[in-house]
Amino acid sequence: MIAQALVSGLLIGFVFALIAAGLTLIFGVMEIVNFAHGEFLMLSMYLSYFLHAGLGWDPIAALPVNAIALFALGVIVYYALIRRVLRAPMLAQVFATFGLGVFLQNAAQFLWRPDFRTLGNTWVTGRIALAGVYVSGPQLAAAGGAVVTTAGLWWLLSRTEIGRALLATAEDRQAASLMGINPDRMFALAWGLGAACVGVAGALLSTFYYVFPQVGGVFALIAFVAVALGGFGSVVGAFAGGVLIGVVESLAGVFIAPAVKNVFVFAIYLVVVLLRPRGLFGKL
Amino acid sequence: MSRRLALTLAVLAVSLVSSRAPAAPPAEVVIGAVYPLSGNLAKVGNDIKDAIELAAELVNDDVDIPVPLGKGRGLPNLGGARVRVVFADHQSSPEKGLSEAERLISQEKVVAVMGSYNSNVTATASQAAERLKTPFLNADSTSPLLTSRGFRWFFRTTPTDDEFSENFFKFLGEMKKRGKTIKSVALFYENTLFGTDVSKFEKKYAQQYGYPIVADVAYDAKSTNLNAEIQRLKAASPDVLLQASYTNDAILSTKTMKELDFRPQAILAMDAGHVSSEYVPSLGKDAESVLSREVWALGLGAKKPIVRQVNELFRKKTQAARGQPIDMDGTSARAFVGMLVLADAINRAGSTDAEKIRAALESTDLPGDSLIMPWRGVKFDPKTHQNTLGSGILVQIQDGKYVVVYPFDLAAAEVRWPLATWGK
Amino acid sequence: MKIGIAAAVVVAVLLYPLVLRGPYPQHLMILVLLNALLGTAWNILGGFAGQISLGQATFFGAGAYTSTLLFQHAGVSPWVGLVAGAALAAALALAIGYPCFRLSGHYFAIATIAIGEIAGIAVTNWEFAGGAVGLFLPVEGEGMGAFKFGDKLGYYYVVAAFLALSVALAAWLRRGRAGYYWRAIREDQAAARSVGVPALRYKQLAIAISAALTAMAGTFYAQYLLFIDPPSVLPLSLSIQICLVAVLGGAGTLVGPLLGAAVLVPLSAATSVALGGSGRSLDLVVYGALIMVIAVFEPSGLVGIARRVRRRISAQR
Repeated sequence: MIAQALVSGLLIGFVFALIAAGLTLIFGVMEIVNFAHGEFLMLSMYLSYFLHAGLGWDPIAALPVNAIALFALGVIVYYALIRRVLRAPMLAQVFATFGLGVFLQNAAQFLWRPDFRTLGNTWVTGRIALAGVYVSGPQLAAAGGAVVTTAGLWWLLSRTEIGRALLATAEDRQAASLMGINPDRMFALAWGLGAACVGVAGALLSTFYYVFPQVGGVFALIAFVAVALGGFGSVVGAFAGGVLIGVVESLAGVFIAPAVKNVFVFAIYLVVVLLRPRGLFGKL
Repeated sequence: MSRRLALTLAVLAVSLVSSRAPAAPPAEVVIGAVYPLSGNLAKVGNDIKDAIELAAELVNDDVDIPVPLGKGRGLPNLGGARVRVVFADHQSSPEKGLSEAERLISQEKVVAVMGSYNSNVTATASQAAERLKTPFLNADSTSPLLTSRGFRWFFRTTPTDDEFSENFFKFLGEMKKRGKTIKSVALFYENTLFGTDVSKFEKKYAQQYGYPIVADVAYDAKSTNLNAEIQRLKAASPDVLLQASYTNDAILSTKTMKELDFRPQAILAMDAGHVSSEYVPSLGKDAESVLSREVWALGLGAKKPIVRQVNELFRKKTQAARGQPIDMDGTSARAFVGMLVLADAINRAGSTDAEKIRAALESTDLPGDSLIMPWRGVKFDPKTHQNTLGSGILVQIQDGKYVVVYPFDLAAAEVRWPLATWGK
Repeated sequence: MKIGIAAAVVVAVLLYPLVLRGPYPQHLMILVLLNALLGTAWNILGGFAGQISLGQATFFGAGAYTSTLLFQHAGVSPWVGLVAGAALAAALALAIGYPCFRLSGHYFAIATIAIGEIAGIAVTNWEFAGGAVGLFLPVEGEGMGAFKFGDKLGYYYVVAAFLALSVALAAWLRRGRAGYYWRAIREDQAAARSVGVPALRYKQLAIAISAALTAMAGTFYAQYLLFIDPPSVLPLSLSIQICLVAVLGGAGTLVGPLLGAAVLVPLSAATSVALGGSGRSLDLVVYGALIMVIAVFEPSGLVGIARRVRRRISAQR
């Protein structure tokens, strides 16, 4: 039973990790928390749904479409909204993205109705049984996709020219612009990449989770906690935070009490930040 | 400046709703309805709205269907006055429920209020009606607590979770008589008002009817996954699972049961998610043979022709209003009947006087064959104002359709028991 | 001129329910006053001392549950319950503040969310406190002593008095040493510490007062609705709404939360009366768009607009 609980926790944890990675990237580069992150996820899931229902595209096959569409959304949001509040107080920034979230969520309900929708007949289905541990196909695929994407993001940031430019901007805007890096472009890129991460996560989730206008809220709250747990701005931290939350939630649900499993998720956050005030991997 | 702005807005709010001076006899009778028209429950709320409007149309127009006030135009005892319904949205908030009920009573001058689906909103909205001495008819909140408050103005037509829970165990007793071995049950429920309320009664009756509870699993309806919960149930391996879930968690839990290969002999669900219009389409074959309590089913039409007739009208109405025909379900059927019960009482009162309507509601006695429900009729308990003639049914998903299987005299098909293994 | 406006506002608030006698306009105004009270309480911690709390619902719930449980199980007057609730919330706040004030910025805000969520889950699963079913208070027995009124007027003047009390308290604190220290902590905590500001002690003061006032509002809410359950008094959305009222009005100023409540509450009521019956949540689309617009064009809140208007008027003279 403990093996099953661990596996289930890890699988969902990887998906939390990917959502959190997008959030932390945006924060790391420009110190803004995107409170509309969950709504980005929701839009990506609707995109998968409509591509599947309308054109018969499988969410896994259409993954690049989601990534590109959400990248574009992130860039648009940056230029249309975020750029205007760059110098505003932190609270105004919070409410700009919070307002965007309320707007997107209710616009989705206005346009697409509050119904729950699920995708039937996707490529990946079924389950695998291994030594008494059951693993669902779609969840395994989602977890795998999440690990690959997060690793790709990490590689992009630490091993490429663009990544170095992003990190340099995060480190010191002025110095970066002296080196010929356009910070404005880098910010837009961070929003694009951050949104593309949830774009991928949304496509992966849509193969086994239902779509409805409020779906983002559930995952966004966990992603915030994962990001803070790992340390704001750290992709490795967000990954560790997401996985840790998935496992804690699963173990607490099986061995303590399901109704209060989220208490342990929040409690583990409090314990970690009280010991390390900037999270597991945060810069001290 | 803030002062002036607030005042202007308040005045604006007042002027939005012109009050109508009551003439004698009135040309129309206005009834208020407070339901969740936006947010998570918007779909349910809009179904209810269409059902109530349909009932009002049947009262107002001359229709040849044997429902109360179907024949003839308007309310005959009030000089043929027409019924008009004003809707308000409570967004599932108890505070909004209270204020919207107050607004309808004080500004729209409604003579009675219907509402409000969510039990916790019904609690506060009916309290506003109690204070303002206006009859409040509830057709769809099943928390037993509501009729135990000793309210003078509160009436409820639907049976409660208490009666529904006991019905499960009566059914299990019948199945035992038919040679099934049922040794244990497990409880699985979401942990807000609905689920916990239901679980309390299930525990009570499990003990009373002698079924040991091998697992008692409450879960958070906002969970992103239910793996841990299902693992616990699987480890307990009960014969019968009693489940109470909303739509998203009902779908998620069934998927997870399949993934983790958990299969009891039977799943008895407390309607809600398991009878929502998304459940079967989302799960296809995996939804087969799940049993649910219901208050209503289209299949009742086999024994009661008016069920079919009213459903046809409802399909026409929803086709016109939303562009696609929708069948009635337990919630819209109860709302429809609730409206007719109220109209019947107002008609018998022969007046829009609140006290007279209240007295007429207390003496309500509608026979079962004039209703589209499986009930024996509508008659309120003189003290609690709970309908004493209500009863529930059990439906089973058979080949993708909800079929009435219990009580056996209303059944359209035999119960399929036990559940087939997954994927068969 | 400032005093003139303030006096006019006070008189208007006092006369309002005598002019508009229907329960609905009175209810709207009670909500405005209640939100102004909650915003003012948040502002002491978030605006003055700069510690962003997204967990005010914890304190609101503490007030609502303390007075209701005391009444139900021991027959204690809700007025005593109000004081007990405020004291409990303040104690809770100190217990939260002691470890959590080591955290900065977002880490603190998310810690308050975490605590609020834990409180919500705990009460939902706490049988004695009514669990998910919630708690009802009896409708009978009206009167000032019972903190229960047959019509809205009683509630109206009680919440107006609470608000006046908290605004006066906030003004007094802001003007004194506490206000001076809070400003220093908000602008640069390290610098404040280095010149000898006892940062932790003054942050603790801010959170305790903020919590106590919020708990008072919670008791008021319980007595007003006579029904509480976790989704109505302990949700994250309430914490966010409280913060929103203060921030959109203007964080850190005295009038900000009042202005925020006076605009936001009628606005959401008006959109929901006008657009809510349709069942398509258009009202919230408008609401979200408006929040964005204010954040972009008036990052310091509605107070900024009011200031600009005043400057223009005085320029014309």
